[in-house]
Amino acid sequence: MKRLAGWMLSSPATLAVSLFLIIPVAATISVTFTAPGGVFAPYVEFFSSGFQRTVLWRTFEVAALTTIMALFFGLLTAYVVSRCPPWMKSVLIVLAVFPLLTGVVVRSFAWLIILGRNGVLNNTLEWLGVIERPMALLYSQTSVVIAMIYIFIPLMILVLIGVLENIPDDLLQASSSLGASPTATFVQIILPLATPGLIVGAVLVFTASFTSYATPHLLGGTRQMMMGTFLHQRAMVSFDWVSASTVAAIMVVVIVTTVLVMTRLAKRLNPMAS
Amino acid sequence: MKRLHTLGAATVSVAAMLSAAPALAQSETFVVSWWGFNGDALQEIIIDPFQEMCDCEVIFETGNNADRLSRLQLRSGEGVDVIYLTDRFSQLGIELGLFQPVDRAQVPNIDNLYSFAQAPQGEYGPAYSIGRVGIVYNADEVETPITSWNDLWREDLAGAVSLPGITTTAGPMVVLRAGERAGVDAYADPDAAFAGVAEIQPNVLTNYNTGSEMINLFSTGEIAVSMAQDFALGRLQSAVPSVAWADLDDGDIATLNTINIASGSENVELAHQFLNFVLSAEIQQTLAERGVDAPVNTGVDLTEEQAAGWTYGDEMISSLNFVDYGPMNANLDDWINRWNEIFGM
Repeated sequence: MKRLAGWMLSSPATLAVSLFLIIPVAATISVTFTAPGGVFAPYVEFFSSGFQRTVLWRTFEVAALTTIMALFFGLLTAYVVSRCPPWMKSVLIVLAVFPLLTGVVVRSFAWLIILGRNGVLNNTLEWLGVIERPMALLYSQTSVVIAMIYIFIPLMILVLIGVLENIPDDLLQASSSLGASPTATFVQIILPLATPGLIVGAVLVFTASFTSYATPHLLGGTRQMMMGTFLHQRAMVSFDWVSASTVAAIMVVVIVTTVLVMTRLAKRLNPMAS
Repeated sequence: MKRLHTLGAATVSVAAMLSAAPALAQSETFVVSWWGFNGDALQEIIIDPFQEMCDCEVIFETGNNADRLSRLQLRSGEGVDVIYLTDRFSQLGIELGLFQPVDRAQVPNIDNLYSFAQAPQGEYGPAYSIGRVGIVYNADEVETPITSWNDLWREDLAGAVSLPGITTTAGPMVVLRAGERAGVDAYADPDAAFAGVAEIQPNVLTNYNTGSEMINLFSTGEIAVSMAQDFALGRLQSAVPSVAWADLDDGDIATLNTINIASGSENVELAHQFLNFVLSAEIQQTLAERGVDAPVNTGVDLTEEQAAGWTYGDEMISSLNFVDYGPMNANLDDWINRWNEIFGM
């Protein structure tokens, strides 16, 4: 009876997840298994193309680089914010979250203006005499990664502030009173306790970067095509829905695998979990 | 008091229903799918008078060629009565079975169009406007004027060129030009044509997908040369006055804008009436004078000033290169892959 009540209570949520998450994804992916040429033919075709392998690898590389950089800068920022007095903390959190209030396209455009040939960076460097003529900074992997870090780092900061705030001050004081250096305290106390937050932040940033469309499109162009932009090309321009669904399926597999690996890693690294 | 409130609310509801009655009385809803540019002018010149004629309500679906054609494909040709597309995409729609043949007898104004516009893709939609794809360049930054398609390969233009992406209307034309430069037919010998495309790669900073993107690239100083469609020239020169349309010895490339009747149209008769209306000399004349679309009706007479910027007049039209999109679409998947291999690696 108790079990039945549990099922009844969870059924609306289960239904919602099935309707809005599982069924659309399953419907998208199922197309790839019924394509002419065999069950796995679209996947064989995808991986037999050097260009498509490059796109997948490039997407993974950009997402991984963005995640690592966001982890580094996000942790530093979140640590500083979490140790601030309450009034200053509120101000800093609002500042950190503020970019999220504007759209991704607007934030990507901001980087077009900063990194452009007549942009802020080139103009400043020319004015300082560092360079003689403007450098071509846009449409490169670097410009995509820089913009992605800027766009997704608020997510990382928000997650980490919550985790770092929950680390008791007593622990840090105890560590310090036992003679640990600030670095040792950071590495041996703060970092392990922040691991769950780091993993959640990493998953969020990696997933968002891996699936992003607007930023790679605007700052990378066709020379830095990523899975999102490639999917758009296959679906909306080539009208090749099987190929587009194959790209979508590969993206889902990469993301689910990443989440599973990260969750497992979190369990292993988090001393509180065991 | 409560009863009074209820009565008041009921009165307001009835009044609202009555005020909506004229709209409900209109017998048909006619759906036009187009880009959405010049919306106000088109509403005034085409939609308002057509609504009066047909006693129908006209509603719109807007978006770029690919998006709208894709939506029509997802709905198996239903939900739209007539669709405006460039000829590259209307050919694709024909191949996908999304349009129905046009009954020429119901559209007598087709006979008054230039021959190239009457049936550019067989029995399907006529062209209602003509444009050009050519080369634009910033005359302040490019010392030697561009006079030929082959100039795109010039060494002094390294990193200064933006080409339209292969999936846009003008993109595949790069492949055709590369083939001509190599002295081969790009359809018959894609290896040689794409070897030519690979040779231009060092000059190309990036490919663009929309006219606005291309204008931004000029405005921010990223590029000095590009391939462009003539409809973007006005906005481009407003943003960068030193941009010039190159006078090419080997001629610009023609692009036709077509109107087709969707295969699932519920108002086929109205759709034919719409086509006939849009192709009339009066409407074509007004559209040209108001700077909306270049005319294809032979009865349109423009002054030199009105014709400036349009693809207009026998001399200009005879100098254009026309493209057959049938074989192009048949090769496009292979071309997209080859293009990606060159520009996306």
